[in-house]
Amino acid sequence: MTFQDVLLQQIINGVSLGAMYALLALGFTMVYGIIELINFAHFNIFMVGSFFALWVMQAMGIVGQSTILWGFPLVGVLLIALVVTMLGTGILGVAIERLALRPLRGVSGTAPMITTIGLSYILFNLILLNVGADSKNYSNPLPQLRWEIGGATLRLRELMLWSIALILMVGLHYFVRRTKMGKAMQATAQDQEAARMMGVDVDRVVVITFFLGSALAGAAGLIFGLYYNYTSFIIGYSAGLRAFTAAVLGGIGNIPGAMLGGILIGLIESLGGQYVAVRWTDVIIFSILVLVLVFRPSGLLGAAAPSKS
Amino acid sequence: MPISDAQPQPSRRPLLEFKDVDTYYGELHVLKGVNYVVGEGEIVALLGGNASGKSTTMKTILGIVRPSSGTVSYNGAVINTMPTAERVKRGIAPVPEARRLFPRMTVLENLEMGAFTRNDTEAIEADKERVFQLFPRIKERLGQAAGTLSGGEQQMVAMARALMARPKLLCMDEPSMGLSPAFVEQVFDLIQAINRQGTTIFMVEQNANMALSIATHGYVLQTGEVVLAGSAESLRNNTMVQEAYLGGA
Amino acid sequence: MSLPPVARPQRNGVSAFWEKVLSEKWQARVAVTLIILAALFPIIDNNEGDIDAAANATAFAMLALGLNIVVGFAGLLDLGYAAFFAIGAYTCGILASYQVQPDWSSFWEPFQWLGLVEHLHTTTADKVHFTVSFWLVMPLAALVAAFFGVLFGAPTLRLKGDYLAIVTLGFGEIVPIVARNTPYLTNGAQGLNGVNTPKLFGYSFGVMSTPYYYVGLIMIVLLIFASMRLKDSRIGRAWMAIREDEIAAEAMGVNRTRLKLLAFAIGAGFAGATGTFYVAKLQTATPEMFMFPVSVMLLVMIVLGGMGSVAGVVVGAVFLQLLQSWFLQDLTQGVHWLGQVTGIAFFERIDLVQSIELIFGIVLVIMMLYRREGIIPARRAVTALTVAEQAAMPTRGADIKGPEKLHHRAVDLAKPLLEVRGLRKSFGGIQAVRGLDLTVMPGSIVAVIGPNGSGKTTFFNLVTGLIEPSGGQVVLAGENITGLKPDAIVARGAARTFQNLRLFANMTLLENVLVGAHARTHAGALGAVIRPPRVRREEHEAREGVLGILGIFGNRLMPRIQHLARTLSYANRRRLEIARALMTEPVLLLLDEPTAGMNPTETLELTEQIRGLRDRGLTILLIEHKLNVVNEIADKVIVLDHGEKIAEGTPEEVHRNKEVLSAYLGRTAATVAATAS
Repeated sequence: MTFQDVLLQQIINGVSLGAMYALLALGFTMVYGIIELINFAHFNIFMVGSFFALWVMQAMGIVGQSTILWGFPLVGVLLIALVVTMLGTGILGVAIERLALRPLRGVSGTAPMITTIGLSYILFNLILLNVGADSKNYSNPLPQLRWEIGGATLRLRELMLWSIALILMVGLHYFVRRTKMGKAMQATAQDQEAARMMGVDVDRVVVITFFLGSALAGAAGLIFGLYYNYTSFIIGYSAGLRAFTAAVLGGIGNIPGAMLGGILIGLIESLGGQYVAVRWTDVIIFSILVLVLVFRPSGLLGAAAPSKS
Repeated sequence: MPISDAQPQPSRRPLLEFKDVDTYYGELHVLKGVNYVVGEGEIVALLGGNASGKSTTMKTILGIVRPSSGTVSYNGAVINTMPTAERVKRGIAPVPEARRLFPRMTVLENLEMGAFTRNDTEAIEADKERVFQLFPRIKERLGQAAGTLSGGEQQMVAMARALMARPKLLCMDEPSMGLSPAFVEQVFDLIQAINRQGTTIFMVEQNANMALSIATHGYVLQTGEVVLAGSAESLRNNTMVQEAYLGGA
Repeated sequence: MSLPPVARPQRNGVSAFWEKVLSEKWQARVAVTLIILAALFPIIDNNEGDIDAAANATAFAMLALGLNIVVGFAGLLDLGYAAFFAIGAYTCGILASYQVQPDWSSFWEPFQWLGLVEHLHTTTADKVHFTVSFWLVMPLAALVAAFFGVLFGAPTLRLKGDYLAIVTLGFGEIVPIVARNTPYLTNGAQGLNGVNTPKLFGYSFGVMSTPYYYVGLIMIVLLIFASMRLKDSRIGRAWMAIREDEIAAEAMGVNRTRLKLLAFAIGAGFAGATGTFYVAKLQTATPEMFMFPVSVMLLVMIVLGGMGSVAGVVVGAVFLQLLQSWFLQDLTQGVHWLGQVTGIAFFERIDLVQSIELIFGIVLVIMMLYRREGIIPARRAVTALTVAEQAAMPTRGADIKGPEKLHHRAVDLAKPLLEVRGLRKSFGGIQAVRGLDLTVMPGSIVAVIGPNGSGKTTFFNLVTGLIEPSGGQVVLAGENITGLKPDAIVARGAARTFQNLRLFANMTLLENVLVGAHARTHAGALGAVIRPPRVRREEHEAREGVLGILGIFGNRLMPRIQHLARTLSYANRRRLEIARALMTEPVLLLLDEPTAGMNPTETLELTEQIRGLRDRGLTILLIEHKLNVVNEIADKVIVLDHGEKIAEGTPEEVHRNKEVLSAYLGRTAATVAATAS
C-alpha cells in the first residue's frame, strides 16, 4: 500500500471512530451545557447501550456474524435495535437524573460529579456481574460488502455507521434549533434563571437533555458493537474519556463543537496509531485534553470558558 | 414603625397581595413579615436600598424563591407554591434585574422566549407587531444576537420580551439600572404607555424620584421590613423618603 | 393515652455520648487507645494473612491522608492521585532494585563509597546495581512526587473544580501508560523485579509483614500529626478559605495559586512516600497498581470517612481495606446461604469480593445523597480562648474599643495615598469605567456615589486587582500597583469589603478574621507542622489581634467568635467583613456599601465606627447609597455616572450640582431643585 492509501484508510477508520465519539460527546456537552455537570455515568450508559443492542438483536434471532441480512430486513432489524436501545439508555439516563442527581441540584462543589462516578461504577459492575468479564461476540447482520478505493477499503459497516451518526446529528440539530423544547434547552443553557422566568420548566428540560444525551450514547454503543464485532463491560472507560476529550476540544457546551471534536479525536486516534504507535495514542489524546483545558479552555468553537477567572 | 396610608382605598381591586410574608436565603432572614397590595391597573413602586429585600420580593412573586410563611395571592388565588411556569401562564411576566436576555439568541428568538408558555401562534404574531409599535428600534435588530446590543436596547428587548407573554402583571426589577438619563426617561415613558394599555406594573426601583413620578402607590422596604406605604404622592411628600432617597436634606 | 417520655432522653443520651467521645479531651484519649491497640495487634492476632492485610491497609490510609489534604483541605478534586503513588513507587524501583543497571564506570565509584550503588559483576559485563537505602528513598520519593505535583499543578490549578478533576484524571491515565511503555525504567507490564527490602540496624525486613506493619503504623501517626497541625494553622485556614471562596481569599491576601500548589505538592509527597513503602513491601510494582480504580478507591475512602476529617479519612481507609481482605469472604458465604434459603439465584451466585467496586459505587452515591460530610464529619476546630485572650474582651455596650494602632506603616501625610489616573475598563463592548482620575489624601474619608450600574464596584475591583484595567494607572503610596494580583495589593496595604458579602461561610468568625492576617504572617507548611516558638508567637499575636479588632464592634461579634459565619445576621456579616479587612492592617480601606441591609440605628453606629477608624490613621474609600451617611462622614464625594466622574467636592458642593441631581436623582428632583432655588 502506498502512503496515500494508508493515509486514506486511516482517515476512513478515523472518521468512523470519530462519528462514534461525536455521538458520545454530544451527551457530555448537552448535559454540561444545561447543568454544568461532567457526567461520568455517561461512560457506562454507552457501554450498557452496546449490551442492550446486543440483547435486542439476539432476541430477534441474530447471533454472531453468521446471520446476514439484506434489504428491508436488514434496515428493519437495525432500526429496531437502534430505537429500542436508544429508548432503553434514554430511560436509564432519565432514571439516573431523577433518582440520584436531581436531589443534588443546587448543591455546590463536586458532590454531583462524585455521584456520577459512583453511578458509573454501579452500571459497570452490574453488567460485569451479569455477563462476566470476557468480551462478547457481537450480533452483526451486515453483509461483508466492501469497495476498494485505490489501496484503501471502505466497508458497508463504515457507510452504515456514518449514516446513522449523520442522521442522528442532523435530527438533534433540527430539534435544538427548530422546536420549542430545543429553544427552551438553549435558553436554559444560556441563563437558567431567566429561562425559568419565561415559564420554561427547567426540570423538564434537564430530563429531556439526559434522555437525548443517553439515547445518543446508546446509539454509539450499538455502533461500537457493529464496528468492532465485540462488546465488553470495560469499553465505556476509554471510549468515554476520548469522547469527553472530543467535547472539550470542540468547546464544552457547544453542540457542533462536539461533532467536530469527535471527528478530530477519531482521526488523531487512527493517524496517531499509524504514524506514532498504538501504545502512545492514549497519551497523545490525554495530552490534548490537558493542553486544551490549560491553553484554550473554551475549545475550538468556543463556549462558556471553564476557567473561573 | 410602619406608617400606613391614612385613607383606605376601597376602589383598589388587588391583583397581587403579600400577607405577612417571610423569606429566607439559607440562614438569612430576608423578608420579615411584609405586606404589599398591588391593585389592578396600578403602577406600584417598591423603594429601598441595596440588600433591603427588593430583589427577593421580585423572586418571591415569580416563584424563584418560596416564602417560608405568609401568603402570596394573585388574582384571588394563593400562589405560594405555584411553579414559575404556571405563574407566567397566568399573566405574571418579569423584566429581570440587569435584563437577563439570552445573549447568544437573536432578538427575535428572545421575543419568542417571552411567549414560551403560549400556543396561540396567530395572536403571538399580532403581539409581535404590537410590541414593534411600542419599540420601533427593536424591529431593526431582530436578527442580531441579544448580547451585542447596547444597554438601553437590551432594556427595550427585555420589556418587549415580557410583553410577549401578554401579562396582566409586569414585574420590573430596576428598569433604570445602568441607563443614561435620556434612556431612563424613555423607559419610564414606555412603562406609563404599557400601563395605559391595561397592564398592571410592579416595579422595584432605586431611582425613587423617577419611580414615584409615575407610580400610583409605593412601598419603602428597609432591612426586609416595609417601613412606609402609601400613595405615591404621600411618599413624595414624606420627609423620611425625601431625606433617604430623594436627596432632600 | 400518653406515651412515657422514654425515647427522647435515650436518644439524647446516645448523642451526648458521642459528643463526649468526640470532644477535644476525649479525642486524644480515644486516639492514644487506638494507637496502643494497633501496636499490640500483631501480637494479639498472630495470623500472617491478617497482619499482611493490616499492613496493606496502612498504605492506603497514608494515601487517603494525602488525598485528604488535596481534596478535603484545599477542595481540589484530584481523580488521578494514584499517579503520584506510581511516581513514588517507581522512584523506589529505580533507586533500589535490579531494574536499571547501567554499565559500570569510574563515575559510580563515589556512589559506591557512599553505599548508594553496588558493583555488579556478571558474566557478560560489569553493571551498576542501585542500592539506595529504603530510609533515604522514602523522603526522596516524596520529593520527586511533590516535584511532579508542582509540575502538573502549575498550569492546571487555575481551572474550575470539575475541569481540574478531568485534567488530573488525564494525568492519572498518562502516568501508568508511560510506565508501561518505558520498560527500561519499569520493566513495563511484567512489573519491577527484585526490589530491595528495607534494613534497620542490620535487620532485614524480608517478606514477613509485621515489620512493614509497624513502619506503616508509625508513618500513619506522623501523617495524622502533620495533617492535624496543618489544618489548624495559617496554611490550613488559607486552604479552607480558598475552598470556601477563592476570590475573597485572594482579596484577603492569600496567593491562591501558591497555596493550591502547596496542597498538591504535600498530597503528592504523601503519595510518593507511600509508593516507596508499598513497593518495598510487595517487592514489585506493575502499572496496573496505579490505574484509575485506585484513585477512585481512595476517593471512596475519604468520601466515606468525611472529606477534610483526618480521623474520618483514616477510619474510612482502614475500614474499606479490611472489608475487602477480611470480611467480604465471610459475607459472601452469608449471602449465598441467604440465597439458598430464599431461593433467589442472584444471591447464590454473587461474589462480594468481585463486587467490591459495585460496593464502592453504592457507597459514593449513598454518601453524596444522604451524608455528604461523611461518617465522621470534619468538626469545626473549636479553639479555646486562653485566659489572657478572654481578659482582652471588652465590656458590653462599648462604643469604640479596639487597638490603638490599626497598622504599622509610615504614611507621608503630605502626599496622596491613592492616585488613580485615566483608569479604564471595558467588558466586551460596554465601557464600565472610562478614564477615571481621582486622588485620595491620607486620613480622609472619600465617598463614591452614583446610581446602580454606574461603575462604582468595577472601580473598586480595578483598584484591588480583582480585575485588570484596560488602561490607566493606580498608584498606592507612591507605588504603581496597576495590574498586580489582589494578594499583592493587600500586602501593599489596600483591603476591601464586598457589596454582596463574600465571607467564608463555613468558617468561624475567628477563622474568618485570622485569614485576614495571612499576608503579613509567615508560617509555612513546615513551620505549621513543627510549630517552632516563632510560629507559636505569630499565631498567638494574630489571635490577640483578632480580639482587638472585634472589640471595635463592641459586643456585636465577640460573643459569637466561635460561630460559623453563615449563622450571622446581615448587619453582623457586614461588620465581620470589615473586621477581616482590618486584620490585613491596611492603610487604605475600601468599603463597598458597608451599611447596605442595616437599619437606621445600625447605620448610625457603623458610621461612628468608620469615623473612628479614620481617627486612628486609616484612609477610607467608600461606596455608599445612603446620602445621610455620606453627608455625615465624607470629606470628599466623587459622583460616578456611566463610568465617568461627573462631580467631585465636599458633600455640600456636590449637592448643589445640577448635573448630579439629574443624573443621580432623576428629572423630578432636578426640577424640584430648580424651582426651589
